Amino acid sequence: MTAVSTLLMLGILATLGFVLGRRRALASVQGDSRRLHSLPHYYGWAVAIWTVLPASVLFLAWQTVAPLGNAGGFAVLALALGGLVWAWLRSSATFRARNAVERAVMGLLILASSIAIATTAGIVLSMLFETRNFFSQYDWTRFFFSTTWSPRFQGDSDLGFLPLLWGTLYISFIALLFAVPTGLFAAIYLSEYAGPRLRAIAKPLIEVLAGIPTIVYGLFALITVGPLLRDYFAQPLGLGNSGSSVMTAGLVMGIMLIPFVSSLSDDIISQVPQSLRDGSLGLGATKSETIRQVVLPAALPGIVGAVLLAASRAIGETMIVVLGAGAAAKLDLNPFEAMTTITVKIVGQLTGDTDFAAPETLVAFALGLTLFAFTLCLNVLALIIVRKYREQYE
Amino acid sequence: MTTETTKMTARSVQVFYGDNHAIKDVDVDILDNTVTAFIGPSGCGKSTFLRCLNRMNDTIDICRVQGEILMQGENIYDPRVDPVQLRAKVGMVFQKPNPFPKSIYDNVAYGPKIHGLTRSKAELDEVVEKSLRRAALWAEVKDRLHAPGTGLSGGQQQRLCIARAIATNPEVLLMDEPCSALDPIATAQVEELIDELRTQFAVVIVTHSMQQAARVSQRTAFFHLGNLVEYGETGQIFTTPRDPRTESYITGRIG
Amino acid sequence: MSLLAQDTRTKRRNAAERRFRRYGLTAIGISLAALVMLLTSVFSSGLGAFRQTFIHIPITLTESALDKSGTRDPDVMHKVTTIGYARVINAALAQAIADNGIVIDGLTDDDIADTISKEAPAQVRDAVLANPDLVGQTVSFSILANGRVDGYLKGRVSLESAAIDTKISTRQLALADAMQDKGLMSRDFNWAFITAADASDQRPEAAGLGVAILGSLYMMLVVLCLALPLGVAASIYLEEFAPKNRWTDLIEVNIANLAAVPSIVFGILGLAIFINFAGLPQSAPIVGGLVLTLMTLPTIIIATRASLKAVPNSIRDAALGVGASKMQAVFHHVLPLAAPGILTGAILGLAQALGETAPLLLIGMVAFVREYPGAPPEGFFDPASALPVQIYNWTQRADPAFVERASGAIIVLLVFLLVLNATAILLRRRFERRW
Ligand SMILES: Nc1ncnc2c1ncn2[C@@H]1O[C@H](COP(=O)(O)OP(=O)(O)O)[C@@H](O)[C@H]1O
Ligand SMILES: [Mg+2]
Repeated sequence: MTAVSTLLMLGILATLGFVLGRRRALASVQGDSRRLHSLPHYYGWAVAIWTVLPASVLFLAWQTVAPLGNAGGFAVLALALGGLVWAWLRSSATFRARNAVERAVMGLLILASSIAIATTAGIVLSMLFETRNFFSQYDWTRFFFSTTWSPRFQGDSDLGFLPLLWGTLYISFIALLFAVPTGLFAAIYLSEYAGPRLRAIAKPLIEVLAGIPTIVYGLFALITVGPLLRDYFAQPLGLGNSGSSVMTAGLVMGIMLIPFVSSLSDDIISQVPQSLRDGSLGLGATKSETIRQVVLPAALPGIVGAVLLAASRAIGETMIVVLGAGAAAKLDLNPFEAMTTITVKIVGQLTGDTDFAAPETLVAFALGLTLFAFTLCLNVLALIIVRKYREQYE
Repeated sequence: MTTETTKMTARSVQVFYGDNHAIKDVDVDILDNTVTAFIGPSGCGKSTFLRCLNRMNDTIDICRVQGEILMQGENIYDPRVDPVQLRAKVGMVFQKPNPFPKSIYDNVAYGPKIHGLTRSKAELDEVVEKSLRRAALWAEVKDRLHAPGTGLSGGQQQRLCIARAIATNPEVLLMDEPCSALDPIATAQVEELIDELRTQFAVVIVTHSMQQAARVSQRTAFFHLGNLVEYGETGQIFTTPRDPRTESYITGRIG
Repeated sequence: MSLLAQDTRTKRRNAAERRFRRYGLTAIGISLAALVMLLTSVFSSGLGAFRQTFIHIPITLTESALDKSGTRDPDVMHKVTTIGYARVINAALAQAIADNGIVIDGLTDDDIADTISKEAPAQVRDAVLANPDLVGQTVSFSILANGRVDGYLKGRVSLESAAIDTKISTRQLALADAMQDKGLMSRDFNWAFITAADASDQRPEAAGLGVAILGSLYMMLVVLCLALPLGVAASIYLEEFAPKNRWTDLIEVNIANLAAVPSIVFGILGLAIFINFAGLPQSAPIVGGLVLTLMTLPTIIIATRASLKAVPNSIRDAALGVGASKMQAVFHHVLPLAAPGILTGAILGLAQALGETAPLLLIGMVAFVREYPGAPPEGFFDPASALPVQIYNWTQRADPAFVERASGAIIVLLVFLLVLNATAILLRRRFERRW
């Protein structure tokens, strides 16, 4: 019996249980539903839940251990039938069907909300496990402190983390250098100066940038920005011949981050109370003096939080750097040189031929864990700062 | 205080918020060294008119002002007038204390700094101290000038805002219900202060409390539904109002 | 000091004010210019993918070459490979060139054959196998031209570039010009780009998005079926029932953090848990769907909670006041009122999932897939591609014609995203409620 047909049967049984449970409850009071503790359909639901719930737990357990097969299928259906009969027998006037159903629903709600925790746990555990495998084969000091990255097929690879970290930070830095002032000034202009017409046009257009998938930015870097920077900056200045470069990836990532920075800043700036602006304007300050000396300092914590969130995004961004930054792990200052990042190497080591016993593959998990830890710190820090900031003006 | 020169003159001022006609044809003279009180039921346009006097209404997109308001013979709504310069001369204190999230010192120094009123740090220190003294706050804060202004009590904050406003050395001081967010003791302190300030400035105060108007002001203007109903000596307004509406209001029948 | 004249300091301050405004305007200008450049770049290089060069010739499907047995039995005819068909097509093209009186110096038979796509024999073979009675007749076909010839018609290939390109010669380009004149060659709308499967590195002209679109559709179905109910359930609990304690605090922090975790980390999770641990197949839409579900869940939860929060408490109180249980109040009154907001959030979550690439690379969706996945639910387990991954895939190919394909695929992706977002905006406009 296949999994699908088992589930189908389960559905049929549940429907049957609903009908039978409801009917039995009604019969127990000679059709006078006012004498029931709960509305009739709750009795139906109670039976249906008892039919499905234990059976699907068994189903999932069986599936994770081995394919279901006939034995599993029948076991699941037998359990479902058992649950059905047991619950059906209880469907009488005194049974508090609504409370039972609500308890079950509540359980499901709690379960659903715990998925967030399960996901995080899954992320951490899966990477931790493989990372341990990696460090049992590869010295952790060499990983964290070596300055060369050169995986080799025949083994004895150099898997130094530093060049990847350097590339990641360098590109993120350029991206933020571009995105933070642009996004911040755009937000300031739109919220403090722009008339309703400009706002109605420019704001959604900037937000369009946020809705564009990163693969599109990646292609933009690859076919337009890269060649442009190479032909008009890198080559004339004698700084390199590569279309893929820190600058290419950084600039394009910066474009991607503009709407992120501007919409977060917009939120934060608009939370600064109008009374502060009035106070400053009432003293004869110009608008820009008010913004620079009163609004921005007041909004600073929130803006710092937004920049941290943007940094976390930049560090974890993948497609733009895969297509725009290159694959050469280098420790170099020249921004027109191709360099690579943590995320590029995760993709590189985990696509194509992978051998989950070799350190060249397993290193991706160590990289992933480091990346996760890094962004986790940034995110949590940013969240705390932003939350404190919000509370201040509530 | 002896010479009652006219500081500002409003002539047939009309204010519109979109289609809402908020101020209808108001004429008022603001006298120097005098506390002028604007009273009237809420929503009658007191704040709106007050904000016309230093063009704070410019910051509201939908607000239009017609008519003219003269200050020393110059129309402040003349296109050549820069509201920034005007507001340095016509300072404002708001209903809710709104100290900037900066130190007490920086709050008071803000105005002098942006207007370039001082030449040196020592001069600035002096201005800050003088303003805080005139706002009757110096004794309480002189040991913690670099503590944040937001950490003060409500009454102290409002006096800080007054100090901040007088630090730019204005000629007119506008106050929009400056005591409505304060407790009675803080209110008494601020009222006392207002009486002091009169020696140097023309003070215009909006209040919804008739007792307060009677206590602190020499002249009173009564607004109703956007009209200036009656304007004159405070004593006269409260004892022998000419308009029946004024009488109803001060005896508590409308409001 | 008159008010009517600005003193020098005020003038300076006003200049600073104007400068500050200019910075703001510049920032907006930069953002909009970036958007315009991005879209121009994509559209200028991608629109070509929607039109393709076809060769229109009559082909005589000789029985001796294609069905020696004469039985017209498809099983028997399967034995003839595309090589056999290629010969027939090459002969037909040479014939058509001669018939139209096209003469070009030094043109060889190989030159002629190479203007035809390597995909063309398969096209003709499929047509014949679908209808064996065609054998023996002369049938008009529109077959794909080679990618270089197509590039020439689209301006990508020029006489100069052909001179140094071993895959195309100037003679062939002259032939293409002549064939266009005689109406043997033209550019037509390229439905195959949207419906056909991917093609190998050698034949960009035949590469299509069919498998990728289907794969993306399957994944979106999985995401919708899982993320929406789970997200709504979690939001209801957190917003309506959760007590304030450590556990719910932990959940809150987790959701906020997951919303900002790099997407590639979800790919690692999918690889480790769904593929290596649970043993689900690589490249399968079900795995992609699961990964994207976990990824979009925080987005949906955040949107749902916002719309639950927007329902005023008076509604809950009214329901509780007439004796409903808390759960009845939520499910009967609050949830329906919040539904438009929830749906909008779900659509935006879907849009995010549709464009996501990085995690899918790690679960093997980069593989070259030519077969369409089967019908659901089994089809969820078949190998498939996905739109954004197909784009990435094409950027990794050597032939420059694939850049056009990738950009064209982006246009398709953007159109889907536009539709999703427009739906969300319409929903919001239509049902937005202010309390
Ligand atoms: N910013 C504004 N936008 C639109 N209308 C306003 C604004 N401020 C005040 N009004 C309107 O102008 C009228 C007068 O308001 P206001 O001057 O605040 O009255 P008061 O201070 O006497 O209570 C009211 O009808 C009010 O609704
Ligand atoms: Mg008021």
